[in-house]
Amino acid sequence: MKRHLLGVVAAGLTVALGVSGCGKGSSSDSGSDGKTIKFVAAIYDDNTKPYWDALIKDFEAKNSGYKVNLEMVDWSQMDAKVKTYVQTKQVPDVLNYNAFSDFARDGLIYKASEVLSPTTLSDFTPTFVEQAKYNGEQYGLPFISSARLLFYNKDLFEKAGIKSPPATWDEVKADAKKIKKGSTIGYGLPLGPEEAQAEFYSWAMNNGGGWVDASGKWAINQQANIDTLTFLKDLNKSGLTQPNPESTDRKTVFNQFAQGKVGMAIGGPFTKAGFIDPVNKSLNFGVAPLPSKSGSEHNTLGVMDVLAAFKKDDSKNKDAVKKFLDFFYQKENTSKFLTTEGFLPVTKSAGDALSADPYMKQFVDALPTSKFAPTTNPAWSAVAGAVKQDLGSSVANKDPKSVLDKIQETAEKAG
Amino acid sequence: MQDLKTRRRGAATSQAPRPSLLRRTGRALTPLAWLGPSLVLICVVVLWPVIEMVRTSLQHITSSGVTVGYNGTTNYTDLFDEDDLIPVVLRTLLWVGGIVVITMTLSLALGQLLNARFPGRRVVRWAVIVPWAASVLMTALIWKWMLDNYSGLVNRVLLDLHIIDKPVNWLAHPGQAMLWMMWVAVFVSLPFTSFVILAGLQTIPEDVYEAARVDGASAFRTYFGITLPLLRPAILIASIINVINVFNSFPIIWAMTAGGPGSDTDTTTTFMYKLAFYDQHVGESGAMAVVNFALILVMVLFYLRAARWREEVR
Amino acid sequence: MTRRVVLTGLGWLVAFVFLLPYLQMFITALKPEKELTKSPGTYLPSHWTWSNFIDVWSAAPVWTYLRVSLTVAAAATIVTLACAMPAAYYTARNRFRGRGAFLLLVLVTQMFAPTALVIGIYREMVALNLTDTLLALILVNAAFNLPFCIWILHGYFSSIPKELEEAAFLDGAGRVGALTRVTLPISMPGVVTAIVYTFIAAWNEYIVALTVTASPDRRPLTVGVPSFVTQYQAHWQFLFATSLIAIVPVVILFIFIERYLIGGLTAGSVK
Repeated sequence: MKRHLLGVVAAGLTVALGVSGCGKGSSSDSGSDGKTIKFVAAIYDDNTKPYWDALIKDFEAKNSGYKVNLEMVDWSQMDAKVKTYVQTKQVPDVLNYNAFSDFARDGLIYKASEVLSPTTLSDFTPTFVEQAKYNGEQYGLPFISSARLLFYNKDLFEKAGIKSPPATWDEVKADAKKIKKGSTIGYGLPLGPEEAQAEFYSWAMNNGGGWVDASGKWAINQQANIDTLTFLKDLNKSGLTQPNPESTDRKTVFNQFAQGKVGMAIGGPFTKAGFIDPVNKSLNFGVAPLPSKSGSEHNTLGVMDVLAAFKKDDSKNKDAVKKFLDFFYQKENTSKFLTTEGFLPVTKSAGDALSADPYMKQFVDALPTSKFAPTTNPAWSAVAGAVKQDLGSSVANKDPKSVLDKIQETAEKAG
Repeated sequence: MQDLKTRRRGAATSQAPRPSLLRRTGRALTPLAWLGPSLVLICVVVLWPVIEMVRTSLQHITSSGVTVGYNGTTNYTDLFDEDDLIPVVLRTLLWVGGIVVITMTLSLALGQLLNARFPGRRVVRWAVIVPWAASVLMTALIWKWMLDNYSGLVNRVLLDLHIIDKPVNWLAHPGQAMLWMMWVAVFVSLPFTSFVILAGLQTIPEDVYEAARVDGASAFRTYFGITLPLLRPAILIASIINVINVFNSFPIIWAMTAGGPGSDTDTTTTFMYKLAFYDQHVGESGAMAVVNFALILVMVLFYLRAARWREEVR
Repeated sequence: MTRRVVLTGLGWLVAFVFLLPYLQMFITALKPEKELTKSPGTYLPSHWTWSNFIDVWSAAPVWTYLRVSLTVAAAATIVTLACAMPAAYYTARNRFRGRGAFLLLVLVTQMFAPTALVIGIYREMVALNLTDTLLALILVNAAFNLPFCIWILHGYFSSIPKELEEAAFLDGAGRVGALTRVTLPISMPGVVTAIVYTFIAAWNEYIVALTVTASPDRRPLTVGVPSFVTQYQAHWQFLFATSLIAIVPVVILFIFIERYLIGGLTAGSVK
C-alpha cells in the first residue's frame, strides 16, 4: 500500500514537472551559439512592438543564421525587471532603458566603441554623447531623445482674453487664474510617482535650480529648488491646478487637456500622437517655450533613453550585438522609429528628416537649450526613485524644504 | 522524495536475509515516507528563502543588482534611519487589526444570514463566493476604477445624489485611500471567512438550540452562550488565516495607490518592495523583510498563545 | 413571516453589494474606449461595444496568460495534494515521534506568505537557475499552500472513525481497498476544499509571478492584465474584459462545488 501511494505521489510530481518542463520554452538556450541574442525593449506605445517585430524580421532575413529574441517590457515594470535580470545573471544582450551608468560602474556593459562601427559612433549628436559617458568613456548608446515644451489650449486662452502664452511664472499664475472656470483647470501639474522628476526639473531649471551644483555635487535642497516647489505649491493651494498633483500622472493631465479642460501643461513631442490625438484630433492647441521665473532665458528639459549592450559569456555575443546595433542605427531604421513614436533624433542623419514636420520642428529647435538629469551619475536611479515617491507630497501637505532635505540625504547616501 | 524511494527499494533487495533489521529501519522510516514529500517541499521552497532573505539583509548589493559582499548591519541601520519606517509599521498594525476585526464581525453576521432559510439563499451564497473566485488584483483594479476622480462610478453616484458637489479624488488623500483599501481588503476576505463561519455553524447540532429554547433562553443569550463558544475553532482558524493574508496583502495597495503619495499608504510589504525596486536598495529591502517577518511571527505567536492552540491540535 | 421577508431582503442586498463591482466590470468592458475618459463617468455604455471581447484577444496575448495561469494553478494543486494527502492521513491515523513537531512546522509555515519572502524566493530561484520558469511558480504556489491543505485534510481524516476503515478491511477489501473505497469518498469534501483553496490561491498569486517571471510567454493573468493600463495608455475596457474572461470560469467552478466546500471547511474548523 505504501509503495502504491508513493507511486501516486511520484506520478503526480512527474506530471507536474513534465507540464512545467514544456513551459520552459526555447529562450533559455539563447546566446549559446553567439548568433542568437536577446533584446529587451521598452513599450512606448501600441506601435512599439510591431516596429521591432518588423525590424527584427528584416534583420534576420538580411543576416542569415542570426536570431533576435525580443522581449517587450512596460516602463512601469522596467526597473524591477532590470534588477531581476542583473541579480539573476540573466541580462539581455541589448537593453532599451533610461539609465546605464550603474551598469558601467559595475562592469556589466560594453563600451560604445566595442559594439558600434566607427560610422555609427560618429553619427551621434555630441550633446547626447556627453550624456552617455561614464568616467569619460562612452558606454550608453543614445537611442531616442525628447524635449519638453509648454502646451496651451488656444481656445481657452482666447476665451479668457489672453493673447500670448506665458513667458514668466507670474504670467503663468495670472493666466491660470483667468482660465479657471467651473471644471476647467488653469495648469495641469503631474507630480505623481510616474514622472515627478521631469515635471519638477522643467520648472526648477528655469529658476536657476537643478540637481547638482557647478562641481557636480548633489544640490537638491538648494534655495532655487525650494522656491520652485513653493511656487508650484502655491499654484496648487490657490486652486489653479487640478486637485492632488501628488498622485496625478501625465496620462490623466493630458487626457483632460485633450478634452479641453486644462489650460496649460508641459508635454513632449509624443504628447500629440500619444495623448491628444486618440482623444480629440481637432483640439486647438499651441506649443511654447517653458516659462521661466524671470522670463529672460528658457531652458528645456532634455530626456534621452539609451541602449546598453551587456557583456555575456566571454564576449561571445559581441559580434551579433554589433551587427544588430549597426542595423538599427541605419538612417531609415532610426528615423522610422522616431516618426512612429514621436521622439527626437540622437543622430545627425535622422535629424533632418524630422524637421520637415512643423510640430516636431519646434522640439528639434528646442534641443540645443536642453538640460539633462544627471543620468551619468550612478546614484541617479536611486535619487530619481526617491524623487518620484516623495516630491509630490511637497505641494500637498508637506513642507517643500523638508522634502528636498530628505531627498538630498538619500542622494548623498547613494553616492 | 525520489531518493527515499530508491533507498527503500535498495534496502529491500540487499538486506533481504536480515528481516528484523529491515523491519526496524522500515518502521523508523515509515513516517518519513509519508511526510517526506511535504517536508522536502516545505524545507526547499519555504525555509530556504527565509535563510536567503536573512543573508541578503547582511549583504551589500549595488543599485544595478551586483552583490559586492557582506556589510554587517549597515542595511539595518539604514532601515532604522528611514523616517517613514515607524509610521509604516504602525499603519501596518492598524491595517491588519482593523481589517481582521471588521472582517470577523461582518462574517459572523454573514454566516448567520447564509445559514438562515430564505428564498434564493443559494444564489446569495453564490454571489458571496464571487470575490473569492475573482483574483484579488482584479477586484482591487475595479475598485480603483470605480473610485476614479474623473470617470468613476462612486463620484458619479454621489454627485447625482448631491452628497458631494465636485468629484473627490478618493485615492489621492492618504486617509480616505486607506479606508477604501481597507474596505476592499475586507470585501475580498469576507467570502472565505463567512464560509468558514457558515461551516462552523452547520456543525452545531440542532438539539443544542432545542434545549436552549426549552430553557427559555433569549436569542441574545443563545447566541453568546451557545453559538459563539461553539464557533471558537472556526473563528480561530479564520482569524489566523486572515491575519496572515491581510498582513501580506500586496496587490490591493499596489494596484490602488502603490503606497503613495510618498509612503503615506504603505504597509511594510509595499514599503519593502519599493525599497528594492524604487530606491534600488535590495539589501535594505532584505532587512525590511526580516523585520516584517519578525512582526508576523510575534503577532501570530501572541495570537496562538491567547487562543491556546495546543488544545485545538489533538 | 416578517423575519423571512427581512432575511430575504437582506440576503438580496448582500448579493447585490458583492456583485456590484463585477457588474461594473462587465459594463466597463463594454464601453468604447473614448467613453472611459468622460467625466463624470457614464452609468451605461452609450454604445454597447461587444467587439471589445473579440479585440482583446489580439490586443494582448490573453490566451497565453490563460494557459500559463491554468498550468501553474493545476500543477501546483496536483503537487500540493500529492504531498499533503499522505502527510495528513498519516498524522491523523498514527501517533509517532515527531508528530507534534511536524504539525507545529505546518502551523508555522502557514504563517509564511510568499509576499514577505519574495526577496528570498527570488534569490533562491537565482541559485536554482529557475528564474523565469513556470516550475518556479508551481513550486512556490504548491509549497505555500501545503500547510493549509495538510491542516484541512488532517482535520477531515481525523473525523472519520478508524472503525469504518477497519470494518471494510475485515470485509476483505484490503488496506488499499479500504482507503480508496471508504476513506477517500467520505473525505471528498475535504479534498475538494484543499483543491479549491490551492487552485484559487495559485490562480491569484501576483507578487512572485511579477518578480520571478520575465518573458511574456510565461506571464500569468495577474501579471498580464494590469499591463493594459500603462504610463501612456489606459485600455480599461480590455483590462476588465480579460478580467471577466479569467473570473467567469472560476466562478462557475465554485458554484458547482459550493456544497462540498462548506463540508470541507467544517472539517477544517472542527477537526
